[in-house]
Amino acid sequence: MSVLSIGALYGISTLLVMFSGMPIAFALGAVATVFMVVFMPPSSVDTIAQNVYEEMASITLLSIPLFILKGAAIGRSRAGQDLYGALHAWMHRVPGGLGIANVFACALFAAMAGSSPATCSAIGSAGIPEMRKRGYPGGFAAGIIAAGGTLGILLPPSITMILYAVAAEQSLGRLFLAAIGPAGLLVALFAAYAAWRYGREQRAARAVHEKTGVYSELLRPDELSVRDKLDLLPRVLPFVILLTGVMIALYGGYATPSETAGLGAVLALILIALIYRVWTPRDLEPILTATLRESTMLMLIIGMSLLYSYVMSYLHISQSTAQWIVALALSRWVLLAAVLLFVVVLGFFLPPVSIILMTAPIILPPLKAAGFDLIWFGVVMTIVMEMGLIHPPVGLNLFVIKNIAPDIPLGDVIWGVLPFVGLMMLSILLLCLAPGIATWFSDAVMGTSDGACSSPLSRHQVGWAKALFAPCPPSAPMVGTLRFAHPAVSAVQALHRSP
Amino acid sequence: MAHGLDSVGPAVPASAEDAPGLLSRELAALNRVVVILASIALVAAAGVLTYSVIVRYFLQVATDWQDEMSVFLIVGAVFMSSAAVQARRGHIGIEAIVGLLPPRINRIRQVLVDVASLAFCAFFAWKSWLLLDEAIVDNFHSGSTWGPPLWIPYSLMTAGMALLSVQLLLQVMGGLTSGLRRRPSA
Repeated sequence: MSVLSIGALYGISTLLVMFSGMPIAFALGAVATVFMVVFMPPSSVDTIAQNVYEEMASITLLSIPLFILKGAAIGRSRAGQDLYGALHAWMHRVPGGLGIANVFACALFAAMAGSSPATCSAIGSAGIPEMRKRGYPGGFAAGIIAAGGTLGILLPPSITMILYAVAAEQSLGRLFLAAIGPAGLLVALFAAYAAWRYGREQRAARAVHEKTGVYSELLRPDELSVRDKLDLLPRVLPFVILLTGVMIALYGGYATPSETAGLGAVLALILIALIYRVWTPRDLEPILTATLRESTMLMLIIGMSLLYSYVMSYLHISQSTAQWIVALALSRWVLLAAVLLFVVVLGFFLPPVSIILMTAPIILPPLKAAGFDLIWFGVVMTIVMEMGLIHPPVGLNLFVIKNIAPDIPLGDVIWGVLPFVGLMMLSILLLCLAPGIATWFSDAVMGTSDGACSSPLSRHQVGWAKALFAPCPPSAPMVGTLRFAHPAVSAVQALHRSP
Repeated sequence: MAHGLDSVGPAVPASAEDAPGLLSRELAALNRVVVILASIALVAAAGVLTYSVIVRYFLQVATDWQDEMSVFLIVGAVFMSSAAVQARRGHIGIEAIVGLLPPRINRIRQVLVDVASLAFCAFFAWKSWLLLDEAIVDNFHSGSTWGPPLWIPYSLMTAGMALLSVQLLLQVMGGLTSGLRRRPSA
């Protein structure tokens, strides 16, 4: 059988098994195993368990449960409400300040929790009722929270980015930094839109008020004393300290990204114990079980996705497809548009983690050959996947919103979210026109990138940190002109060749 | 800490109905214990990594075993708790088309999907057992300077996948007895 027909068969069987509703982890593992049995030497089937273990047993990947733990600890405390309350108090004089405060609260919370649904429910459960009380239309309020929540997969410590760094063999520290500029851009766009839309709603409400005398809450000025503002500060401060402390540990070279995960989780648990008195086993149980549930589900998908892409690489499906795409000799931007469209379509069905691990070996080599910076692309791809979190049909965040504000009709939520999808597209366009938005900051902190295995730390930093920070993967076999195969393949193939 | 994974996520049909017979209660109890131990392992892993940052920065002590120790703790927690997650049907799948099926067809589909999942997990558990056996017999150690024996993570992986297979088996049996014959539950 030719590589092409095996590849087609692989793709089609995956689709069929996935749509049967089989859990994603088992579906990927089962398809990979069947193809191993049929098309690969028996000795490779024997290594399936070892393969999955060795792929998973990387401390970078296994930092994911710890980031989830940190997010769950913060998400289950009252931190979200407090953060939101303080921002609102400080920004209420800005026109549309309430909406802007919600956007900022989402961004800050996302940076602490690293999870999109957690951000939506933590900020939204306080923010949406408050905005609606002040006369914001339900769809608009929902849109702000749904879109703000997606920043969770863009801002560090985003789980999506961790996986991208592993799949694309890029420095995680650099990727985290590269996301900060675009995240700031998105926050600015969201906030500007919130202010503009607020102004429009307020003018409309005033016109109605003058004509019919119907009073809208949008017209009521809110009053908060300086005392209120100061009272709220101490509750937020510890979390800001946690956030900056972790960032300093990471970029100051004191801790590796995975150590940061452990440190962040421990600090978050200590903070919620001290501030919110969440420390008894009974209090901690929901946090820990939620963490375990999400981590186990996610890590099994990750492990099996890695097995899946290993098989794809062993059978040369990914390399052939990648070469085929390169041979099409599309212009750079057509190629990028096609790849992003592909990611959008996959986003209808698959969670970001599977999209990254399954497609990286296929889409990254052509992009690299076309001269795209893979760090930059990681940021763009993440924003595209953010869109997938809020656009129908799947739109995970839409369901979270539906959960916390069941009385806003889904149609209103979707209409409220669409302008934000447009703003995300605009930000992708801006990133294409000015790639520096993403790469400038990471280059400024870590020195300019020199390809896949660049040293992410500036020159004067200590050697151990350099070694820990960006482990250079063993060079993969050359596939045509493309240096991109699954790292494990070469090892296993070598194993099979030797007697 | 009496509820295991009960308090988490959307309401899912209770596993008692999913898996009748004498084993289901024992397995549920075992899963609760596993979840508690796995929670402790997770927090311990976070603690180990924090410790590693502290000793390296303040005491200038080289760190060699912390990363690997955390890997073992987290790998163990993930594999061991996979059965508890499956008991709550917490391993997500694509439900887009499934929701459109008539209930009876959907029950048959659920059983078939569970059988396929069981086949895969049992196969994986068996391969992982062979790996564990090899690691014990040939005394495999990790290649790092610390070099802990590899039977530790392998045994956790094997036990976890075996537990998951038992859980799936109970769910298949539950689906066959209650799902196909009597009134649908979903």
